[in-house]
Amino acid sequence: MKPRTLLVALALSGALLPPAAARATGLATCDSGSREGWQAQEKLTALLKEKGWQVRRIKEDGGCYEVYALNDKGERVEAYFHPRTLAPVPTGAKDHKG
Amino acid sequence: MSAEARVWDPLLRIAHWTLVASILATWITAELKLDAAKRAHEWAGYTALAVIALRLAWGRIGPRYARFSQFVRSPAQTLSYARAVIAFAEPRYLGHNPLGGWMVMALLSMVAAAGLSGWLSVTDRFWGVAWVQELHEALANALFLLVGLHTAGVVFTSLRHRENLVRAMLTGRKPAPRPGDID
Repeated sequence: MKPRTLLVALALSGALLPPAAARATGLATCDSGSREGWQAQEKLTALLKEKGWQVRRIKEDGGCYEVYALNDKGERVEAYFHPRTLAPVPTGAKDHKG
Repeated sequence: MSAEARVWDPLLRIAHWTLVASILATWITAELKLDAAKRAHEWAGYTALAVIALRLAWGRIGPRYARFSQFVRSPAQTLSYARAVIAFAEPRYLGHNPLGGWMVMALLSMVAAAGLSGWLSVTDRFWGVAWVQELHEALANALFLLVGLHTAGVVFTSLRHRENLVRAMLTGRKPAPRPGDID
């Protein structure tokens, strides 16, 4: 390989290394079907508020609702809930039926 | 064959490979979909931050080639070195070359920023705050891009000057200075 070619090849290989996507950890997955049957996130927030939780963020992850919150004891929790039933989903659960 | 030059001191080398291991560990533990991996991810991040703190101090009080003042060159010098690289006429540096020196600073800053944002994201105050989580992910991705460029730079420079820079970071030794080298 010509030196110049080598230089360009190396520069490109460095720049094109796929950055490892720092994805959210999918700690559970839910068999939750189409979004139409899902309950609103606001309802889950209200439900958890009643339990004394301070909900910080709700995301969708693996078909579940993933909740970041401080629980009634003030502990940081990341918990999963089924979007149809709003029942808690244990972490590690695969295709949880709710 | 003349004697080799001792360039990288033991503490610097230990710091370098501990940083490599801890960053690798943060990546693996972030990809694993396991509850237990979260604690490991946090500790790998704290280890990386501790290495950065040590390296920053070492850059001021450490031996010659560990010092920032030895290898952080002015923008003009760095640009002129970059031009020499493109023209295939760059001199060999016994310590970090100007581009390598700035890569060191970029890597140290990015590890610090990624580590601190990760730490913030597990405090009560910022727990579950979207922008903190997104910032941490973006900084981590930028760090992995820099690591890729750093590795490419090491391979390129090794080939150009016929020296094994990975081995040098393991043994601390480099081939003795040749005529035209910059010490």
